[in-house]
Amino acid sequence: MTYFFQIIISGVVVGSIYALAALGLVLIYKSSRVANFAHGQIIASGAFIAFFLTVDKGVPIFFSFIISMIVTFFLAMSVERIFLRRLIGEPIISVIMVTIGLASIIDGLIYFTKFGTENYSFPAFLPQEPVSLWGVSISWTQLVGLIITSLLIGGFSWFFKKSTVGISMRAVSDDQFGSMSVGISVPRVFGLAWATAGLSAAAAGCIIGNITGLNFETLHAFGIVVFPVVILGGLDSILGAVIGGIIMGLIQQFAAGYLDGNFGLSGTGDVMPYLVLLIILLFKPHGLFGIHEIERV
Amino acid sequence: MSANSWLATGNFHTTYKHEQNTFYTSLDRSVFTFFLILLFAWPIFYPLSNKYMLVTDNILIAIVAVMGLNLVTGFAGLISIGHAAFVGIGAYTVASFCRTLGADHVMVTHFWPVLIIFSGLFGAFFGALVGLPALRLKHLYLAIATLSFQMIFQWVINFMSFFNQGQTISVGRAFWLTGEIGRNQHYVFWYYIILTIVVLLGFGVRNLMKTRYGRCLIAVRDNDRAADAMGMNPGLTKVYAFALAGFFAGVAGALHAYLYRGVGFDSFTLKISVSYLAMAIVGGLGTLNGSFWGPVAIKLLDLQVEHLSEVAKQYLPSAMNVATALKPFTFGLVIVLFLMFEPRGIANWWRITKSYTKLWPFRY
Repeated sequence: MTYFFQIIISGVVVGSIYALAALGLVLIYKSSRVANFAHGQIIASGAFIAFFLTVDKGVPIFFSFIISMIVTFFLAMSVERIFLRRLIGEPIISVIMVTIGLASIIDGLIYFTKFGTENYSFPAFLPQEPVSLWGVSISWTQLVGLIITSLLIGGFSWFFKKSTVGISMRAVSDDQFGSMSVGISVPRVFGLAWATAGLSAAAAGCIIGNITGLNFETLHAFGIVVFPVVILGGLDSILGAVIGGIIMGLIQQFAAGYLDGNFGLSGTGDVMPYLVLLIILLFKPHGLFGIHEIERV
Repeated sequence: MSANSWLATGNFHTTYKHEQNTFYTSLDRSVFTFFLILLFAWPIFYPLSNKYMLVTDNILIAIVAVMGLNLVTGFAGLISIGHAAFVGIGAYTVASFCRTLGADHVMVTHFWPVLIIFSGLFGAFFGALVGLPALRLKHLYLAIATLSFQMIFQWVINFMSFFNQGQTISVGRAFWLTGEIGRNQHYVFWYYIILTIVVLLGFGVRNLMKTRYGRCLIAVRDNDRAADAMGMNPGLTKVYAFALAGFFAGVAGALHAYLYRGVGFDSFTLKISVSYLAMAIVGGLGTLNGSFWGPVAIKLLDLQVEHLSEVAKQYLPSAMNVATALKPFTFGLVIVLFLMFEPRGIANWWRITKSYTKLWPFRY
């Protein structure tokens, strides 16, 4: 039974990170209908900037997290400004391919640095002894990661519900022409959506980097695995991203915990999200909380 | 029918029959024949070393795969991010014959044309299977469905011991009428075989676009609701498109297996899928000659980048692996620049030159 609860705990931790990573994707999709295939690379660069500042420059670790979030904020904003703004109104394949091309460019840039091939880990700044609750243990990094993630997601939800900028972003996602007519600058909202996505990606990158260590392959793999998450939750719903993330984390950890080793299987945790994804796409393509689009000729 | 069959300046179709001809003017036909003879003859007069012959063969295989991708992405407008997995299915069909029968079984070495066609059909089957969500889904959702197929394929190959867990499975040498194909003739032999297949499939695509089904594809790409209202079946059209793309990919995979005389996991990863998409875009989506230009451009670029990184290596610290960094960088840059400045690809340049030479000295 302890094993069961242990898996639930790790599932929720992994799931909340997925939710944070998926949040950025949803933000961009919600406002500009662009699926960002370079999200994993932004996550990775956020984590690497934080590591570079902490270890090579000696900045205190919390400050370096915040600086890296600010840097990716502007990085993602400039990406939107330089590459995506001139593609507004182009066919969807062009936009998707531009983000794939961007992913490739950032890949190349990261391979130029020392982070491309080697593994690093953040210096430990939390107690090493895991917390034990009724026999279920959870490490401090996971616990702090979970708390920061929930705070960030709560903050983002508040931002969208209450703040003026958040409301204008929701307005743009609802109706671009309508929001233009009430004086919202649509390109600025797109830029802001990318920027906030970059910020949340950096936060996700720092948390993942603390929990699993810094490895470029695992970090940019997050950019692919968030797709099952957002499809499950619905591509344009923040609540969907959170719930989808946690469900996907649980599915993955349960698959890894119970299927691996039995029936001669291995690595099921990696493939399970995609199997679930195919099934969702066949039966409920708009996810749990996604909006059905009505099309007209 | 135009008065002068050499110098037609416009569209002179008077009957549907004439519109369905493969070549409209004698100029078209003779240019095509000239290039065909050139392509078949140059290895005799200008033999390349094995290394460069392998690059040439590689380009041709990529052309086969990209023709399929162009059918599904260019003509039908469905984004497929799992094309390398379909190519992989073709290659692993050959590989599984080698695993069960042995690499040098008669089936593998003598009946390779049968095996290549069989791989294509197997690829088509999987293509249709993955295309099934297309009955309900569009655009991004479909792209993600193909992406998940790619990930599942990678897991299956890496997991199953039947597929040697992604390690190389060797494939025997092919036999021709004259006997076994030796080391020295291997690449030239496969050059001719693949070239023939490219020509056949190219004609296939060109003719397909003039049939009822081909026009259906384009109608569905442009507006599937309207196509539905006109009495076409968009869902089925899309599934067929995926099946066709799977066939091309399967053939390409089988050829890849024979050319390298082995099948390994590395040639069918997500990165390769993306590079097929890049080839289709750089060549020009929705055009047949784009499927030729794209692979040539990308593969030659790859080769140049390799040379460049060899040179750069001498001036940079040895710890840095220039090739692994430079390749994705230039590759991504080319995709992005093409999409931003020439979204219709190299095929558009070809079209511009063609119309310029046709009308010279007049502007239009």
